[in-house]
Amino acid sequence: MISAGTFHVISTELTIGMFALSGVAFLLCMLKKGPDSREAVAHWALLGGLIATPLAIISGINASPGDGIDNPLLANKMLLSMTSAGLAIGVLIRRKMGAAVDARHAGIGMASVGLMLTTAGMGGEFSRGETLLLFVPKETVMIFPLWASIVLIILGIAILSKSAIEHRS
Amino acid sequence: MRVKVIIMLCVLLLSTTVSTANPGGKGDDVRSRDCAGSCHASSSSNGVSTATLDITFPNEVYAGLLIEVQTSIGSVDVSSNSMVGMTLLINSDGAKDLPANDGWEVVTDPNGGSNNYVEISDTFSSQNPVNRSWTLRAPSEPGTYGLYLAVQHGTPEGGVAMSGISDIQSVLVEEVPENLPRLSPGWEPTNTRGLGEETTITLETMNTDSATVELMNGAEVIVIPVVDNQFTIPAAVNPGVVQWRVILEGEGPTQSSPWFRITAQEPGWEVDETALYLQSIALFLLCAGLVIMQRPKNEDIIKDYDNTDHVVATVETSLDTISDESQSPPIPAGGIPEGWTMEQWEYYGHEHLEKMARGEV
Repeated sequence: MISAGTFHVISTELTIGMFALSGVAFLLCMLKKGPDSREAVAHWALLGGLIATPLAIISGINASPGDGIDNPLLANKMLLSMTSAGLAIGVLIRRKMGAAVDARHAGIGMASVGLMLTTAGMGGEFSRGETLLLFVPKETVMIFPLWASIVLIILGIAILSKSAIEHRS
Repeated sequence: MRVKVIIMLCVLLLSTTVSTANPGGKGDDVRSRDCAGSCHASSSSNGVSTATLDITFPNEVYAGLLIEVQTSIGSVDVSSNSMVGMTLLINSDGAKDLPANDGWEVVTDPNGGSNNYVEISDTFSSQNPVNRSWTLRAPSEPGTYGLYLAVQHGTPEGGVAMSGISDIQSVLVEEVPENLPRLSPGWEPTNTRGLGEETTITLETMNTDSATVELMNGAEVIVIPVVDNQFTIPAAVNPGVVQWRVILEGEGPTQSSPWFRITAQEPGWEVDETALYLQSIALFLLCAGLVIMQRPKNEDIIKDYDNTDHVVATVETSLDTISDESQSPPIPAGGIPEGWTMEQWEYYGHEHLEKMARGEV
């Protein structure tokens, strides 16, 4: 067996590598440069990174010292990675629905990649004490009240359901 | 465009810092001896520490009882963050070297935790040895045991990860005398507390008629009465460490416990984890929904089942092919002229047929 820390390193590198590749491919899509395969690379790499993301999150929580989430960096990592994963899933489903890979689509993909890379950068600061994200307010955590989160969850489910129904029709 | 990309890459490269191993430390933990991350660097980035390392045991060590062990680190120059990681180990092999493997228990480490690896920041220098106290529970089986002190640190110039380990320091662990006043084997001291709160500690003793607690307040020692095996340490106003020990009296020889340390610290960062997890799920669903809601316009939709364009293009290509083939002149009953190829017939067949019609051939 390997420790949660080692597994977290493996899953994190897998996630970040795939997301970084996807980000470069989305950049090429936005610039309309590079080979035709850029669209396929962007989306397949995003899907690969997305699959590895839950493993990275779970192993990261298990590997963190102390009990639970006791550091603002960890809380922000959780929020950012889930936001990034949401955007990534949205991009993939939107593409599956037949959307063209235009500047808006590529921009959302790059935003997802950017959030995930920011998450990784904060992980580096948490474990090694060093970061390039000097001006990002990493120590500030904005937590919604419970009722607001529940409302947002319901809203999100409603939007997803509506989109699914419209797509089927 | 290429120039911009190159400039961007240069800026990124120049913004990185040159460092080795884990300059910010790895955090206190239960760790085997390792290279502190320097194993990922080249051999020129590693070095052997010149630190003089020592472990001092008390005169008498009884099996299963608490003892205070002093460690000393001297003759060492470290990096600008003045940090040294030190580890208590039972061998120098780098495997199965945790104190627990020999039955030792780290009850209180120098930082107030219960780890065998701690990172300390102090005025390390070649002239100034730095001492730290550990509270250990001795192995439960009498015998001769040994401990090593390993260190890892940086250098003043940076760029090199240094590691070192002491010689083995042996200690004889004796059988506990039957009537020895002592703390119960299962009793654990409190290591941390919050600011502004009194700390009441309950002692569990054996073969003890009376107990007295001594609290070290700076250089002054304050005696605190023990009532019903309980005593109270006054609240701390500022973060810091106070030390106390208990004097146990009974039929056997009077015993003093090790100095226990209680670290008063600011309350840690806390978050309502339920709210955090719910918000994470909410952001996930909301972001996915909002992106999907950006439905493509009708002209952007490429429906998998709408193959009209493909079919039309295929049919037109087929018709063109058929048309091209039909341009080839019909082959007469006697076949194409001798020596002609089909390609020649396609090009010149019409002329040959016209000549045949005129009776010239």
